[in-house]
Amino acid sequence: MKDLLKDTLYPAAMLMLLVGAWLAGVYLLHLPPYLLPSPHDVFDRLTGDFGYLMWHSGVTTFISLAGFFLSIVIGIPLAIALVSSKILDRTLMPWLVLSQTFPKVALAPLITVWFGLGMGPKIGVTFLVAFFPVLISSVVGLRSIESEMIELADSMKASRLQKFWKFRLPMALPSIFAGIKVSVAFSIVGAVIAEWVGATQGLGYLLLQANASLDTSLLFAVLICLTVIGVVLYYSVEWLEKMMIPWHATVRLKDRL
Amino acid sequence: MSQSIALRGIGKSFESFRALEGIDLSITEGEFVAIVGKSGCGKSTLLRIIAGLLEPSEGKAEVAGKPVTGPSDGIGIAFQTPVLLPWRTVEQNIRLQLEIRHLQRPDMEEELRRLIELTGLQGFEQRRPYELSGGMQQRVALCRALIHNPSLLLMDEPFGALDAMTREQLNLEIQRVWMQTGKTIVLVTHSIIEAVFLADRVVVMDARPGRITDIVDVEVARPRSFSNLSDPAFQKASNDIRMLMDAEGMTA
Repeated sequence: MKDLLKDTLYPAAMLMLLVGAWLAGVYLLHLPPYLLPSPHDVFDRLTGDFGYLMWHSGVTTFISLAGFFLSIVIGIPLAIALVSSKILDRTLMPWLVLSQTFPKVALAPLITVWFGLGMGPKIGVTFLVAFFPVLISSVVGLRSIESEMIELADSMKASRLQKFWKFRLPMALPSIFAGIKVSVAFSIVGAVIAEWVGATQGLGYLLLQANASLDTSLLFAVLICLTVIGVVLYYSVEWLEKMMIPWHATVRLKDRL
Repeated sequence: MSQSIALRGIGKSFESFRALEGIDLSITEGEFVAIVGKSGCGKSTLLRIIAGLLEPSEGKAEVAGKPVTGPSDGIGIAFQTPVLLPWRTVEQNIRLQLEIRHLQRPDMEEELRRLIELTGLQGFEQRRPYELSGGMQQRVALCRALIHNPSLLLMDEPFGALDAMTREQLNLEIQRVWMQTGKTIVLVTHSIIEAVFLADRVVVMDARPGRITDIVDVEVARPRSFSNLSDPAFQKASNDIRMLMDAEGMTA
C-alpha cells in the first residue's frame, strides 16, 4: 500500500508541476490558442469528442498491438534460430543490422505504394519499427549464459532441448523482457508513422488533420491519447514481466536500486 | 580396493598454450584426493578431463574402469560458483539433476530429504537462491552434485569465494559426507590448509606446462578437526606442500 502510494504520488506531483507550467505559459506569456491551447480547452476537447477520440485510439491501439505481437512472434524465434545456427547468423545478421540503419519512416510510403492502404501494410510498418529491440536483446540474452552453467548442463548429460528449455531460455528472459519493453514503446511510434502515410482513421491520421487545420487543442488531445495508450501498454508488459520473472534482480530489487 | 580414476600420460593444449603435460595419476575407490597449485597450473582443466567435459589432447583417462568419452552418470560436480537456477527453489534446484537424467523415482525423494538434513538445509527447502548466503548456496550445489548417488564427486574450488568461518564449517561437512557415503572425492583448491585437512593425498601441481610436481600423503586419523591442525602430521604435510611450491618459485 505504501509502495502504491509512493508509485502514484510522485508521478502525480510531476503532473501537477507540468500542468502548472502549462497554465503559466498560457496566462503569463499570453500565447495565442493556436500555439498553446489552455489546459481546459484541451480537457473540453477530450470530453466533448470522447467517442470520436476513442474510436481512433482503438484503431491505433489495434495496429500497435498487432505490430508488437508480430515483433515478439517473429523476433524471439528468429533470435533462437540465429543463436543456434552460425550459418544463419552470418547470412542474416548483417542484413538485419542494415535494415535498422536506414530510417524506417522512409520505407512507409513505399510499403503503402506496394501493399495499399489497408490494415496489413500498417501493421507491417509497425512491425519493422518495433521488432529489432526484441530480436537483439533476445540474441544477447540467449548468448550470455555463464560457461559453468553450460558445464553443469553438460555434466548432467542434458539434451539440446533440455539445455534450451531448462537453462538458456529462462536465463535469457530478463534480457528478452528489456527488449520487449522498448518494442512496445516503438510499436506506437510505428503505428503513428504508418497512419501518416495514407490513412483515413487512427490517431496518426487525426494528428495530420489537426495539424493541417491548426486545430491545436485537438492535437494536444491526440497526444494525450497516445501517451495514455503508451503508458498502459508499457505497464502491462512490466506487469507480465513481474509475473514471469519475479526472481530477477530488476523485479525483486526495483525499489532498492 | 579397485581404481576409481586412472590417468595415463594426459596432456592438453589450447591452441599454442600447453595447459597440461604428462599427467599420470591413480586414485583408489573411496579415496579423498586434493589437487593444489597456483592459478594457471591446469588443475581445473584436469578436473574437467576427469569429468568428461574436456577431451585430453593426448593420453588416456579412465573412470571406474571405463575410458572417459563424455559426462557420465557416476560423477557429480560442484563448481566454483553454485550455478543455481534463480527461478527454482532449493528443492527444485537439487531435483534438477534428477529431472535432466530422468531419475524421478519415489526413493529419490527420500534421498533428497536425507541430503538436505545432512547439509543442514532443513527449513530452507522452499527458499530461492537469492534468499540464501553464499555458504548455503554451495550446500545446495553440493546436494545437487550428490542426489543421483554418483560414486565420484568432483569439486572445483567450491569454497574459494566463502569467508574463512563458513569455509571451515563446509570442510567439516564435506568430511562428514565423505565418511558417511564412502565416495571417491577429488577436490581442486588453492588452500593448502583445506587440502591437508580433507585429503588422504595431496597432488601438488605446477604451471607452464601444467604438471604434477609430487604427491604428499596426509597421515592423520579421521575424523579430523580444525583444533588439532597443530598435529605434527598435519604440520609435516603442509610444510612438505609449501616446500614443493616454493621450489617451483611460488613464494620468495
